[in-house]
Amino acid sequence: MAALLPAFALRDTHGADRSYPSHRPALIAFVKEDCPTCDLIMPALDSLFRAVGESTEFFVVGQDRSGNLKLVERHRLAVSILDDSKLKVSFAYDIDTVPTVILTDGEGGERQRLIGFERGEWAQLADLLAQEAEHEGANIDWDAFPAWRPGCGSKSADPMIVDRLRAESENSPLRARRIEIAPADDEFEFMFDQGFSDGLPVVPPTPERVVHMLSGTRRDPQDVVAVVPPNMGQATVEKVAINAVLAGCKPEYLPVVIAALEAICTDEFNVHGVMATTMGASPLMVVNGPIRHRIGMNMGIGALGQGNRANATIGRALRLVLRNVGGARPGGTERSTLSNPMKFTMCFAEWEERSNWPPLHVERGFAREDSVVTIFPATSGPQLIVDQKSRTAAQVAGSIGLVMQGIHHPRSLTMDCVLVVCPEHVDTLATGNYSKADLRARIQEVTAVPLRERVADETTGEGFDAARAATMDAAALDRRVPKFLSEDMIHIVVAGADAGKFSGLFHGWVGGNMGSVPVSRKIEEM
Amino acid sequence: MHDTVWFEIQGIPAVSIASEEFEDAARTQAKALGLNDARFVLVEHPIQDATDDEMRSKADAVIDEVIAALTR
Amino acid sequence: MTTILDPTDERVPVTRQLAARSAQLSGVLAMLDIAKPRGNVLLDQLEARLKARAPGIEVVRYTKPTFTKPAPDTLRNEIREKADLVVEGLAD
Repeated sequence: MAALLPAFALRDTHGADRSYPSHRPALIAFVKEDCPTCDLIMPALDSLFRAVGESTEFFVVGQDRSGNLKLVERHRLAVSILDDSKLKVSFAYDIDTVPTVILTDGEGGERQRLIGFERGEWAQLADLLAQEAEHEGANIDWDAFPAWRPGCGSKSADPMIVDRLRAESENSPLRARRIEIAPADDEFEFMFDQGFSDGLPVVPPTPERVVHMLSGTRRDPQDVVAVVPPNMGQATVEKVAINAVLAGCKPEYLPVVIAALEAICTDEFNVHGVMATTMGASPLMVVNGPIRHRIGMNMGIGALGQGNRANATIGRALRLVLRNVGGARPGGTERSTLSNPMKFTMCFAEWEERSNWPPLHVERGFAREDSVVTIFPATSGPQLIVDQKSRTAAQVAGSIGLVMQGIHHPRSLTMDCVLVVCPEHVDTLATGNYSKADLRARIQEVTAVPLRERVADETTGEGFDAARAATMDAAALDRRVPKFLSEDMIHIVVAGADAGKFSGLFHGWVGGNMGSVPVSRKIEEM
Repeated sequence: MHDTVWFEIQGIPAVSIASEEFEDAARTQAKALGLNDARFVLVEHPIQDATDDEMRSKADAVIDEVIAALTR
Repeated sequence: MTTILDPTDERVPVTRQLAARSAQLSGVLAMLDIAKPRGNVLLDQLEARLKARAPGIEVVRYTKPTFTKPAPDTLRNEIREKADLVVEGLAD
């Protein structure tokens, strides 16, 4: 037995409430007034109704209320037309084309479906109905009709409104609480007042926008992506999509936001510590792989700044999930002394094609054709590394190392940092055949100073503990100590314009078990 | 209701007085402003053609409600 | 009516909470006349009744420039600085 057709109840042009099914065989016809094919078949449909309407129930479903009245008047119809101007029935029946005529049996099973107008099909349908009604049939002059006419697009399939219909339909994927804003109230002001915003305007997350956003992923809207600290709120795919709408994302960015959220809500990344620290750390996102091109991310001129929607809104969406689902708010659990603009957003892509180096995600164990997001805890940056004079690889790498000595404090040792090498510096490094490993080694070489030069003194209380240094012998104090505890804490990516000898540097936070470790996640391919 | 809701958000108990005709509008406004429970007290319609004495008795009729709205 | 979906974990009601109230009227009560005709007669009578019921309170009268708009920020801020309670009327 065929699957039953959806039940419905609609009011008709006579003001009567009609509901389907009614335990009688029925003919359901979807029409709209401004479709010439619908207009063409209305008289035939009405003749059929007059002939066999006693035995077969007619549900003529019209897609626009005033158009329904026009059809009745124009063709002096005996059959009434049901008002489906909300298009919910057309949507539930998955109607692409009008006219669509469906013949059903008494139990509500589908027997036959005609789409558009094909004269032979319609004549056969008329004969069938007459035969079953034991009626002589409607006297329709089929020869007066054209042999064939295509139908028109159903209003319920209009891409402009299909998201709204999906949001409102019975099997809507949405479960989030609905909040109504009165017409008299400014929706943007309302959202500021509710604390949904990072301080900049947010896009109202209407059900249709959220449904549209969800088209960017194949994941079930109610899948839990992560449990978000500090409140341990459950971030479902739907909640992430709502915040992605707020941030201004396009649907194709959503998989990046989801992967990033998975990455930061891990023990290794420790996002609660990152967001809460008085040092003011923030997640810094680097995107690698084919998705960079597919969603139009900026990795070239001005890659670390404003002006690119994907870069700007992906980073912002992640922050808004932390704020709204996790409850992390400045002055609440966010205790940053100064904070920094990365707390709004910080996301860019690596220009993998601009160097001979293995890109970041390949170094971290992924295939080159994987799309991957890597998240670092960043406390400041991008700090500029200015070197417009050096002609050799060793000099450029030397400059980078000298500037890195200042991370957090010139006397301190440090952990993970992100070095963004600009294309002109890449070219100079290439003249010396510098690999990423060579660059890291050179940084450690030029930052290495005798331990005694890192000891706290009258100039600064920061540095190696003076009391401990006093117990050490000369050989120990002469030992050269580089800036980084380990070379693999120097994370290198390529980005920026072809012109300009300015690289960039993001300072890290506390690393290891005490703090936060960078985390990579593969991005869902669509 | 905009003003009343604003004062409530500032931590100041507030009550709006409106004629009965305003009940739906007041409720909708309060909801739209995110404060479903915003207090309002309704006096009998009509207002514009009421005598001074009639206005005073409308006030007398709601004085208990006004005090309650600010204290409970 | 615009409908939006809640971006939070929904643990907090969307509606704001009323300001805390004390059991007795006390302090400065601002009466804000929204400047609709006839409202002042009702407010005069309310003022007299309030003073009789709670002799300790001080009533300060304010008038909005127009009933068609929310009170201007300067007026709102002035009332916030001075008043502990607000009665606004009369809308009809």
